[in-house]
Amino acid sequence: MAAIHTENLSKTYGGGLRGKKSVALRGLTLEVREGEIFGFLGPNGAGKTSTIHLLLNLIRPTSGSASLFGLPVTDAEVHRRVGYLPESVNLHDYYHGRKLLNFYAVLAGVPDAARSGRVAEMLRLFALEDAADKVVSKYSKGMAQRIGFAQALLHDPDLLLLDEPTSSLDPVGRKEFRDILLELKRRGKTVFISSHILSEVETVCDRVAILQQGELKRIGTLQELSAGRSTKFIVKSLPAPALESIAATAAEITLAQGLVTIRCQNESCRKEIECLLELHGVQITQRETVAQSLEEIFFSTINSSKTS
Amino acid sequence: MKTILLIATDSIRSLLHHRLLLGLMLASLALTIFFSIAMSMARKNITASFSDQATINSVMDSRKMSEADRQTFRQSMEMASSTFQGFFYIVASFGGSLVALFIFGTAIATEIRKGTIRLTLSKPVSRTQFLLGKYMGGVAVMAGYALIASIAMLVFAHFQRMELSPVMRWAPWLMFCRQMMLGSVVLLLSLFVHPVIAAVLAFFSGNGLYSPPNPLYFILPSYSEFDVTMEVLSGTLIAGKDVALLSLYALDFVVIIMLLALWRFRTKDLI
Repeated sequence: MAAIHTENLSKTYGGGLRGKKSVALRGLTLEVREGEIFGFLGPNGAGKTSTIHLLLNLIRPTSGSASLFGLPVTDAEVHRRVGYLPESVNLHDYYHGRKLLNFYAVLAGVPDAARSGRVAEMLRLFALEDAADKVVSKYSKGMAQRIGFAQALLHDPDLLLLDEPTSSLDPVGRKEFRDILLELKRRGKTVFISSHILSEVETVCDRVAILQQGELKRIGTLQELSAGRSTKFIVKSLPAPALESIAATAAEITLAQGLVTIRCQNESCRKEIECLLELHGVQITQRETVAQSLEEIFFSTINSSKTS
Repeated sequence: MKTILLIATDSIRSLLHHRLLLGLMLASLALTIFFSIAMSMARKNITASFSDQATINSVMDSRKMSEADRQTFRQSMEMASSTFQGFFYIVASFGGSLVALFIFGTAIATEIRKGTIRLTLSKPVSRTQFLLGKYMGGVAVMAGYALIASIAMLVFAHFQRMELSPVMRWAPWLMFCRQMMLGSVVLLLSLFVHPVIAAVLAFFSGNGLYSPPNPLYFILPSYSEFDVTMEVLSGTLIAGKDVALLSLYALDFVVIIMLLALWRFRTKDLI
């Protein structure tokens, strides 16, 4: 069973009396398998947070549907299996740290007998024991982020929805966060991370999806997304008409040591260059396929979408 | 039920940490006490030497008043006492209405604005449980307000050696019922518009602006029935049956408005 399933999920804000329409998400069809760490990438305004809000039933879809573990997101009971950490953690800051976690533990349905032990475990895991009896409004941003993460893990959920989880953490905190994610993965938990920090996603995620302007552009494992995508053609000479045609594409042309190098960052560009070289009768001296980093995949996806 | 009570308790805790609300409640009670002291001083001036019934009787005898004059004199003395109680009731009721508008108008809106609702609803908490918990938290705070106002009234009456108007037995309860109705209306409106606009609309929605020929009278809440200022001033009594009917009307009204609020809240985007 899929941990997350969305079918043609769309969300439009505003319109009518509420002002100008703004499309946040367009027909998102996505499936996140149980036990995988899934990276959800995209520039600001791509629709990542809206997707998470739809999955938590905080906003209503304009069309389409979403389910978690086979249950519709409108069923509050499914949240027993879900933990959530928002981008900006806004807590009931009049509680002390321990009492806040206790409050969320009761809401999450942690049994009475296990509650205090579980709260203590989370305080220890997130190095908040010394601040446990301090009022939350006095917490630093990093501490608030850590207690936010602690409340998401309190009830040992099967699925974690994390929206920019490391935005307020220092490098040490990020490293600890990564270790916790890997531990969760080892225990078979599903993690859905929306993040801007590509290197972080690259090191922990099994699969990623790239979203732009509310549309899903690419989805797959890093190997699937980078395989054969970045191609380098080396030719001895390039006639003027061929140069003109190639310059009009997304390919990058460089001239060094009497050789012309043409780089293509994606599959469609590669096909286009191959056709043009053949059309102009240009002999390919050397062809190389280079594996791309997540950053290259991300930017080539975003740039090719902009070009198209 | 446990979840609703937990949210209600959290709501009370949050309200008690709200400086503006605490300020409003304290200001309301302080204003009530100020008016009470002012009225009691005025009463003392009026009744300077007539502090008890025996003195009043001796004054009436010494002045050789006719029976009609005696009646008028007694009424004026009673009026001085009931004016004090009337003022106390008006100020406590008005202050309570402001507090109710504030509590219920911001109950959901503040949670959405601050973003705290996201974490709460990410737990197995339905929107219905959340809304009912928030309403119940407000009800508990308003009950506390009515209780404090009643105690303040009793303490003042005791120190002034004043007999309470018969209707004062029911006045705090009717004030509470009215504030619950007002609270449900402002809660519903705050799910559509900004809390300040909701508070203004709710305040003027049922303040006796419309009389029976106007169809709005039958749609909008009728708070005026719960206002017992005239009964306090005239010293008349409200029948227990009328109090029961008014309580039923308030309950019925609150249930209908809360059902509408639930319908709206279940379809609202909470960001």
